[in-house]
Amino acid sequence: MKPLAFAARSLRREFRHAELMTLAAALVLAVAALTAVATLASRVEQAILDSAAELMGGDLGIASSGPLPDALATTAAADGLATNALADFTSVLFAGDASQLCEVRAADAAFPLRGRFVIRDADGREHAAHAPPPGTIYADPAVPRALGVAVGTRVQLGGSELLLGGTIVESPDGGELFRFAPRVVMNLADAQSSGLLGAGSRVRHRLLVAGDAAAVGRFAAWARSHLPEGAELTTVEDAQQNLRSAFERGQSFLRLAALLAALLSGIAVALAAHRFARRKVEEVALLRCMGARRGEILAALLLELGLLGVPACALGVALGLALQQVVLDLASGILPGSAPALPWLPAAAAFAVGLAVLFGFALPPLLRLREVEPMRVFRRELPPRVRRFDALYLLPVAVGTGLILAGAGNLRLAGTLALGFAGVALATAVIGLALLRLLRLASTRLGGALRFGLANLERRRALTLLQAGALALGLTALALLGVIGPSLLERWRAELPADTPNWFVVNLQPGQQEGFFQAVEALGGKNLNLLPLAVGKLVAIDGEAPLPEHYEDRRAGNRLRGEVRLSWSEALPEANTIIEGRWFQAGSNRPELSVDQSWQEMFDLRLGDTMTLRVGDRDITATITSFRGVDWDSFRVNFFLMLDPATAAALPHSYIASFHLATDQAPRLAALSREFPNLSLIDLDQILDRVRSIISRVSEAVTWVLGFSLLAGLLVLLAALAATADERRHESALLRALGAGRRQLSTAVLAEFAALGLIAGTVAVGGAAGLGSVLAARVFRIAGYAPPMAPLAVLVACAVVVIALAGWAGTLRVARSSPMAVLRRG
Amino acid sequence: MALAASEVSKTVAGPAGALTILEGVGLELARGDSLAITGESGSGKTTLLGLLAGLDQPTTGSISLAGTRLDTLGEEERARLRRRLVGFVFQSFHLLPALDAEENVMLPLELEGRGDARQRAAAALDRVGLGARRRHYPHQLSGGEQQRVALARAFVHEPEILFADEPTGNLDQRTGAGIGDLLFELNREHATTLVLVTHDPALAARCARRLALRAGRVDGARG
Repeated sequence: MKPLAFAARSLRREFRHAELMTLAAALVLAVAALTAVATLASRVEQAILDSAAELMGGDLGIASSGPLPDALATTAAADGLATNALADFTSVLFAGDASQLCEVRAADAAFPLRGRFVIRDADGREHAAHAPPPGTIYADPAVPRALGVAVGTRVQLGGSELLLGGTIVESPDGGELFRFAPRVVMNLADAQSSGLLGAGSRVRHRLLVAGDAAAVGRFAAWARSHLPEGAELTTVEDAQQNLRSAFERGQSFLRLAALLAALLSGIAVALAAHRFARRKVEEVALLRCMGARRGEILAALLLELGLLGVPACALGVALGLALQQVVLDLASGILPGSAPALPWLPAAAAFAVGLAVLFGFALPPLLRLREVEPMRVFRRELPPRVRRFDALYLLPVAVGTGLILAGAGNLRLAGTLALGFAGVALATAVIGLALLRLLRLASTRLGGALRFGLANLERRRALTLLQAGALALGLTALALLGVIGPSLLERWRAELPADTPNWFVVNLQPGQQEGFFQAVEALGGKNLNLLPLAVGKLVAIDGEAPLPEHYEDRRAGNRLRGEVRLSWSEALPEANTIIEGRWFQAGSNRPELSVDQSWQEMFDLRLGDTMTLRVGDRDITATITSFRGVDWDSFRVNFFLMLDPATAAALPHSYIASFHLATDQAPRLAALSREFPNLSLIDLDQILDRVRSIISRVSEAVTWVLGFSLLAGLLVLLAALAATADERRHESALLRALGAGRRQLSTAVLAEFAALGLIAGTVAVGGAAGLGSVLAARVFRIAGYAPPMAPLAVLVACAVVVIALAGWAGTLRVARSSPMAVLRRG
Repeated sequence: MALAASEVSKTVAGPAGALTILEGVGLELARGDSLAITGESGSGKTTLLGLLAGLDQPTTGSISLAGTRLDTLGEEERARLRRRLVGFVFQSFHLLPALDAEENVMLPLELEGRGDARQRAAAALDRVGLGARRRHYPHQLSGGEQQRVALARAFVHEPEILFADEPTGNLDQRTGAGIGDLLFELNREHATTLVLVTHDPALAARCARRLALRAGRVDGARG
């Protein structure tokens, strides 16, 4: 026997007879869905990175507290990269008696390399600009407001008199979202000549580079090993950290959609392969009888699967690439800027995943075919060898888990999905068994056809549970894609309501709160929230000085080298949720600490660990009693570290506040600045607009991807159902031959599938609702999310009807044709 | 000796404990011999046929096929032996539904890796009078035609021993008689040793030797 030739012939014949059509269709759809989703996700991600580069002003940045060596810029330029030198520092701007603390950016003429720098001049005209010419500065609108001057007047900075040439409308900001003072941009040569960058000044020197991605990559690799002491290299990925939560949520949504599509297809492939294997039993018995060896049969089966799988996956990739292009063409607003080049990696990965799904889910029933006994040709009724535990079935579980782990991109999403789906499978087994027992009791009181249909389920108990499990998993995935996903997206979009705080206030002193509250209220400010702020240094974790090189996350080093800000509050602040542990309780006699989740991951912290913070000359060693999820998108005042109020009360502190003020009221803030000259007011409107635009773009892309995955999932599930319905054709033909009417036949099949759908649907509603709640809290950090039960129930009820109808449609052909023809076909 | 069995017993586990299906069966067949195994339903005929063909192992006793002791061989070695030496005809034909008549006949040749499978299958189908129906699928053939295809398949690779399980059991009397004639004609042409399980006394009578089973024991042997 030549397995390859045999496999090729078998495939040709069996495919012609639609035996393997379902398997191929499931695979094509799965790979198409994966390719489309992953490619789309990758292009959206790339586009977002490109836009992050625009925010940063370059593709890569190097920053240091000391001057950067010229070798960095010359090496970059030698590889064809454009460079831009910057120096950022804080200084005070004077106009007459008025003064304003500002964050100054001194830039050379290349600024900005990426993104737009838009200026409004004295005539109110907006135009794109580069760094100001020597002798001129541009400033945030808050600066002239605070100084009480107009554009076109001269101001003093670092002992030089400079012309305020315009206000900044839009500017790449180096990836810094939050500034503690308004911005001023000046010419680098002015800063150098005025001595602002001299010894003793706290300057952040920056070099931004931009150009071809490969050259940037080469330069990054070279620069990492040539960085001067204390310098930091920032990529666009790092720069987007400030908008991390918006990007991460978007990515999690996209990954969730792609994963669910892959799992759905796995289920369909598993069902189809199971059916294929069942059909093959007698052929294998005959071949064994004729002397075919086990190895030959297995080789032929695997080759047949491979010969089917490779072209199906290739077709899926082609279809998927075409589909994502259609989506991009239809929804041109999805991507910020022009579409990035077509990435090939997601398509290659989808192809590989398709084969993994095919073999992972189809192998167990096929491998078991090796055990078919040749005596089966004489005795069809010979029972197959049944195992209490079949280790082979761990393979699809392993492939499924592998898919989730590899595809989720973060452990929390992976863990939630894996546990959720395992829970759904377990619940189906438990609820299914209980319902089957109940049905058996009830069916004795029911009429003939109905009883026959329900008795079928009990008779094929193992198959029923397998199908119910597959359907429950499929319906759960559908419900997540169809109901939970869109409702989570809706919540996300609604997270930045119109009254989101758009002003931050720092340096408010104790004793000023009352007056400040009244002043803000008088201006019509809303949503005012305020927390104390103490500044310290993290000196020990669990009694030992933490070393930056011990932590994988490069941000950990910045936290350890720099200052840490901490706060305290009696009650858990809004936009915070306790993820682990408990909030402070009155009466505790030891210092306690509540830590943000990102710090927990960054420093690998556990409840009960201690952190020693040095505030002034006092060291406080506090025990971590809770971890918090913080919604940084709320634009409320939030902190990574919060101490218990009893310990913190005596610390030197100021206050930090945020509030919302209608944009047209902003000019009136000048009065507030004059009343409280020590305050720094920070305008967040531009950042808010940017976050809103990102959320809107990403969520639009996610909606498309969810929709497509849903469609693919639905098709895959229907294909699988058609396969299971097919198994009943022979039985229905037999009933027809025995005189069963069409109505009786339909009743029996509808009853059987409706019961199957009921088991799966019940579990799926619970599973999707539970998973949705956990995903909202743990992955998407959306507090107080309640899954919409009514749409869930409607979706699942519709699915149950579709399941019953699909089963019924499968037997329609039998009812229409002669039972003899069906019986003779076997 | 083409086939020899000695003190063959088969016991299986049943719901009410061990169930003995065959007990102390022995026989010897020379090359070219024909043997009919008869008996009531459940007397152990098919089980004995399966054991003699090496499809299953006896609980006790020994069986030799073309001089090779089957109990010394593993399942894979028995499969290799069957491929070379054995042909089968079944009561329910067992044609693969996805293959047409010619492809079904090609199967044993393909298993042996013969390059001339298609030509030989076509010739075998011509021999059983179905040359014109080579492209027909099993469901497009009558029961008698399906069994003719099965006969062509059984003889196409010229086995030494042919095992036939109720070859006319699913056919009407006239068609059954035609199939019986064809079976014995082919058997003669190929000088094959034939082991036949049947309820049909007329078919049994055409065999040189007969073995009657009752409740798993030899109830009588002739020839």
